[in-house]
Amino acid sequence: MTSSVASKRLFQEYRTLTNNPPDGITAGPVSEDDIFVWEALIQGPEDTPFALGVFPAELKFPRDYPLSPPSMKFTCDMWHPNVYPNGNVCISILHPPGDDPNHYESASERWSPIQSVEKILISVMSMLAEPNDESPANVDAARMWREKRGEYERIVRDNVRKGLGL
Amino acid sequence: MAEQTINIPQLLAVLLVGFLAVRWYFSSPDPNGGGSSRGSNTGRTRPVDPAQVEQVAQMFPQLSRRDIMWDLQRNGGSVQATTERVLGGRSLEVPPPSFQPRDLTSSAPTSSSPPSSTPRSLHPDLITRYNLASKISSQQTSGNSPASSSNATTSQGQGQGQGWSQNKNERQQLLQRRREEMILAARRKMEEKDKATGADEGN
Repeated sequence: MTSSVASKRLFQEYRTLTNNPPDGITAGPVSEDDIFVWEALIQGPEDTPFALGVFPAELKFPRDYPLSPPSMKFTCDMWHPNVYPNGNVCISILHPPGDDPNHYESASERWSPIQSVEKILISVMSMLAEPNDESPANVDAARMWREKRGEYERIVRDNVRKGLGL
Repeated sequence: MAEQTINIPQLLAVLLVGFLAVRWYFSSPDPNGGGSSRGSNTGRTRPVDPAQVEQVAQMFPQLSRRDIMWDLQRNGGSVQATTERVLGGRSLEVPPPSFQPRDLTSSAPTSSSPPSSTPRSLHPDLITRYNLASKISSQQTSGNSPASSSNATTSQGQGQGQGWSQNKNERQQLLQRRREEMILAARRKMEEKDKATGADEGN
């Protein structure tokens, strides 16, 4: 039962994202045979070292979506304070409400069924532009971002070029 | 006075027991060390030759350098013994937390930051991943004509939104095409930017 609600909702979100794609975002199921696994492409925001880059990520939805949030994992080299070295994205909108004992994030920032894939992807896009320095997922990247911005940007630019096969 | 004479033997006993305990603690790793060279590595630790560690690490990249160092240090720096141990299917012992070889700690920062990008480049680039190599070359040779001809079907759908099709396969293809266009467009822009700033190739 719940999973049919989830797949209906996902299908509807897929349709919305196809008809009205936000700038720099392409997303949809890898195959409609399994609507719970999506692939998204996110463009790097302009005026950041991520500019011109295209970053693929995999979204995995739980069977009780939209009650629980999906997980998101970049499937490219991503050097960013809020992305774990394995690609997993750590951002408040992907955290279920009431999950944060440290109260770093207010409930409104976290996942709730009124959020959507589109909002997640837009949040991730702005996260690329503005890393959140609190509770970093990649400590090395966070330190470099803080202390050696030039080096950080160079790694990011290298990854952008590598990703485009240049 | 009488109380003191009782206390001194007790004190000696405590000292003796303490000494034996410490001695036992330091020599206890020996018996399971393969019995190669005992004693030499107990008191003062002989530094392990980094070249030897490197040698073993190259043979068995899956092993941690710290484990290798520990084993080499315990068998008196015999690469052969360590190699045989690993090949024999006996995994290396995990060194105690107190084991902090200097070579390892000094090389740790250098090895942790740059390779953190290397092991992650398991990811193929987008061109390889979506098999776009042919499309790049066709774009380069003749402007945008091949791309636009393949877009003919898309443009029908673009009348109503960006092309939502009632047909599942068609939807899949449209999504695929949008992905490819996004990647190719980004690459084109990057190449244009490269041409524009061809002077500073340093990056």
